[in-house]
Amino acid sequence: MRTLVVTCHPLRDSFTVAVADRAVTALRGRGDDLRVTDLYAEGFDPLFTARERARHLDPGPDPAVAGYAADLKWCERLVLVYPTWWSGQPAMMKGWIDRVWVRDVAFDLPPESNRVQARLHNVRRLVAITTHGSSKFVNAVEGEVGKRTVTRTLRAVCHPLARTTWIAMYGADTATDSQRRAFLDRVERKLRR
Amino acid sequence: MDVLVVRAHPQQGSYTHAVGDAAVRGFETAGHHVTLLDLYASGFAPAMSAAERAAYYGEQPLIDPQTAEHAALVQRAEVLVFVYPTWWSGPPAILKGWLERVMVPGVAFRFDAKGRVRPALTNVRRIVGVSTYGSPWTYVKLLQDGGRRMLTRALRLNCGLRTPTTWLGLYSIDTLGDTERAAFLDRVEHTMARLEPVRA
Repeated sequence: MRTLVVTCHPLRDSFTVAVADRAVTALRGRGDDLRVTDLYAEGFDPLFTARERARHLDPGPDPAVAGYAADLKWCERLVLVYPTWWSGQPAMMKGWIDRVWVRDVAFDLPPESNRVQARLHNVRRLVAITTHGSSKFVNAVEGEVGKRTVTRTLRAVCHPLARTTWIAMYGADTATDSQRRAFLDRVERKLRR
Repeated sequence: MDVLVVRAHPQQGSYTHAVGDAAVRGFETAGHHVTLLDLYASGFAPAMSAAERAAYYGEQPLIDPQTAEHAALVQRAEVLVFVYPTWWSGPPAILKGWLERVMVPGVAFRFDAKGRVRPALTNVRRIVGVSTYGSPWTYVKLLQDGGRRMLTRALRLNCGLRTPTTWLGLYSIDTLGDTERAAFLDRVEHTMARLEPVRA
């Protein structure tokens, strides 16, 4: 399967990087054709500019992010790996969505319409792997914004039968080493399945 | 009251700019002291840097003079107002990044002895959101409004659970005419002019 892994954490020695490494190992183990995008390492600029806004009704991405859009159109499985901050994806990843998931890449918007039409029919598997500093209870109260963004909003423009997988660690702020190791094992197990 | 309006839209002259201006007018009519923070105009960088992440749990997480300046405005504010277009069920990356880089430990919350998050925004007595949506209201409710939840739940938990919130949304904006857009600006201005912080 053609798989794109998009990962995002500013620190090279962070737990998110360890999680992404384990995910890549698992996907490679099952023989996937892999592309990996590390947004921080590549110096991705998450700022959606005035120039992009001015042409946002035109089809296609800004030339500056054309390679990222090509990867998105190429993959059958999309795996997002990130820490949950303020109950959602970090600004770095939100900016990747804002700038890359544009008209003609991710959706189409017919004239006189306010409902987008899906254009990412190539994506049949959507996987999110994330860590939450706070507990599952607190995240439930806050409304699991990041989870909804993936399993509803992004899912809505993928293949109509696309399956979503949510792999989340809660209470990461107070997690022990053995809990972290257990989560890494869970990531590998789930992705190998 | 001391009001901080945070606005996020890349284009000068955009409808979101007009919405922010209407909100400021409303508060000024009612005699409040308003500070307008336009994130794009101030050249705010959305992404938390490696140095900032490394300093996040330390003594001084605000290592950028600009985030320190914005944090001082937040700590003085009695009303926080967010004006932005909703993209992919959430705020633009620049506003998401502002929450990450400015609402840090010591400003928005603190950790107790057991490492749990405790509120620190006790100066804030009301949270207000004004957003535009490409989608109709029904579709926003179906997908759920991530930006609204982030501000009225996650952020509000750090102000105190009883902090009142006000939300104004303009839906299906791509297919609305000038009359509806103008009417919404009036609604924003009048609503802001009437707002009172309920909690004493």
